[in-house]
Amino acid sequence: MDGGIAVLGQVAFWGLYSGCIYILLATGLNLIFGVMKVVNFAHGEFLMLGTYITFFFFVLSGFNPYLLLFLSIPILIGAGIIVERLCFRPILGTGKLNEIFISLGLIYIFQNGVAMVFTDEWRSMKSPFADLTIAVGPIQLPLDYIIIVAVTAIILVCLSVFLNRTTTGKAIRASSQNRKGAMLMGINVERMDMLTFGIGAGLAGAAGTLWAVSGQVFNPYMGSVPAIKGFAIIILGGLGSIPGAIIGGLAIGMVENFTAFFLGGSWKDAISFILLIVVLLVKPTGLFGEEGE
Amino acid sequence: MRHDCIIYTILGLLLIALVLMSGCTQAPAATGPSEIKIGVVASLTGPASTTGKDIWQSAELAADEINAKGGVPVRELGRSLPVRLVQGDDESTREGGMKAVTKLITQDQVHVLVGGYSSAVVSAHQSIVADNKVPYIISGASSSAVSRRKDLDTSYMFFHRPNTDDSAEASIQFLTEVFRPAINAKFGFSDGRKLRVAVIYQDSPFGKGQLDAVKSLIATKNLPIEVVAEEPFKMGESDFRTVLTSVKSKNPDVIYAVTFLNELVPMTQQARRDVGLNTVIMAIENNDDPDYYSGVGMYGDGMVMESRFSPYAVPAGSTEAATRKFLSDFDRKYGGFAGMMGAATYESVYIAAAAIEQAGSLDRAKIRDALATIRVPQMMEIMKNGTITFSPDYRESKFDLYVVQLAMDQKLGEPRPVIVWPGNLKAGDFSIPDWYTPGSP
Repeated sequence: MDGGIAVLGQVAFWGLYSGCIYILLATGLNLIFGVMKVVNFAHGEFLMLGTYITFFFFVLSGFNPYLLLFLSIPILIGAGIIVERLCFRPILGTGKLNEIFISLGLIYIFQNGVAMVFTDEWRSMKSPFADLTIAVGPIQLPLDYIIIVAVTAIILVCLSVFLNRTTTGKAIRASSQNRKGAMLMGINVERMDMLTFGIGAGLAGAAGTLWAVSGQVFNPYMGSVPAIKGFAIIILGGLGSIPGAIIGGLAIGMVENFTAFFLGGSWKDAISFILLIVVLLVKPTGLFGEEGE
Repeated sequence: MRHDCIIYTILGLLLIALVLMSGCTQAPAATGPSEIKIGVVASLTGPASTTGKDIWQSAELAADEINAKGGVPVRELGRSLPVRLVQGDDESTREGGMKAVTKLITQDQVHVLVGGYSSAVVSAHQSIVADNKVPYIISGASSSAVSRRKDLDTSYMFFHRPNTDDSAEASIQFLTEVFRPAINAKFGFSDGRKLRVAVIYQDSPFGKGQLDAVKSLIATKNLPIEVVAEEPFKMGESDFRTVLTSVKSKNPDVIYAVTFLNELVPMTQQARRDVGLNTVIMAIENNDDPDYYSGVGMYGDGMVMESRFSPYAVPAGSTEAATRKFLSDFDRKYGGFAGMMGAATYESVYIAAAAIEQAGSLDRAKIRDALATIRVPQMMEIMKNGTITFSPDYRESKFDLYVVQLAMDQKLGEPRPVIVWPGNLKAGDFSIPDWYTPGSP
């Protein structure tokens, strides 16, 4: 099997799984940036909160952890709205430095708050489907990962329908394309900011639930690295571009896993940024970015 | 009248202040320090925080016991002093370790340092310890590259842990003497067949040190072992699926995993559950921790681990009573069991106290000299010749190591270890799990 198609197929599947987590994280981040032009470094903490909400309610209720998406997403939407209203709206338009320090402050608040409640020990949980595997030819696909890929696809389709088919979604897109124009057309852009921030946080919460369900370990400090990669993805895909976030997330997931396979796990994180540098040298606006973003 | 009243009040207050101040100056002058300050370097936050908490709590337990017995006699002062521990959180990072150790030495002015877990983190703050000449009993940092470095003065550093060569030697000896004959017999392999070992290691001095030690041992002793894969991973990694897929494609008989606790749990689970890698994992001693057993669950069944202190497998003999007392005291105070790093740090606090008593002084140079010649009876970990003492060359203590095998306990819902090697310590025989699949014939 050494170097065979089956092994490469298996690695591609792990890349697809990693890509799904990145896509959800980066799509939320890009949605927020697209509408508000806000840089929120604490976005990874929403993912971390998603893992703990899932873990907490799973232990408490014993529900199927995938059903807990219906809890983690609304709770994180609520948390996102509160954070936007209390932290980001007062400093909107006052400079990037303020946004950076607000988000750094939020990182510490969320991390220490969760550590205080749940301690900072590493946690993990076991999905009820953890032992089920489906063989597709020579490739073994754990059922959980198939569900994770399917859930991500469903969430993205729902998001697309919301943004393209509903009045509120169209208002969000209008705010993203031309904030002043949207205001002149009677759109309450501050309401759109709040909603967008909530949806972005909700998508990160969904990523957190899927992270926990996949059996990966988590602790209060686990959000920083995925957040940094989320930023790399949105720059790679193009700031403000949802398709860019999806393609970028998938690309980073695949490249990371194939790099780990061919060059070793030490290169896994570095390759994301090497890819980013290469893309920016060739196309400074990112894969799907527009001039001026 | 009102004016006089104010003047008398002010005078009265001044008089009271004068009396109080004179009282201060007339109190017996303090002759020297009132306590022994021991700095505990531990990863209280960050990826290694589970182990860091264990280190801190165990040190606290030792200090409480010493203080309950009246403290440590210091001859030069003519009295006993209590031990006060000072926390130094290295944040599981090199920079965090440098900050913490600098603070402990310069601001808190500790007399001795104990602790230190990651080789990478310890190696970054060794120069600060060397420059300030503070005695440091290091209970982690197993890489020989840390204890045997030539670029700085390590004479104030004492290593109360087996180095990577020691632990690799015990693990490889087990694989050669027990594991290889067992699979050869069960699967009908020829005696000349080499054992196929895949090494998955943390990309750090600790991981690289283990890998080098394993390869060097195989080469110098001409052992019938072939390293079929060398797979590094980044410290703190939690997704090992691709690395394990790569390892699976090399058809190993056993995986030699050089990891921290928070890395071994997902690695073990992902190997069996996600990648379908039905191979025994051999882990290193720093993972013999209650959190590993509870975290890994059923996927830990059948795996083996080199150890020097196991919370659930206490070797019979001279250290048994002390170990059981430590575990029970720890459980009573903190609820739960201590791991190996906790045990080593607990012992380190006692070694520090013994060195101060022997030196009869809180002078750092005198404490260092006492540590160089100290002989403390073994406590919980089994030492060579039954005594904790540091080698004259690199100031390393020497342990009798053993190997445990995990078996799932259905009642507890998590595995429990049994000592299976060496012969003089073992409580059961190593057995090949039913699900095990060997590598290529």
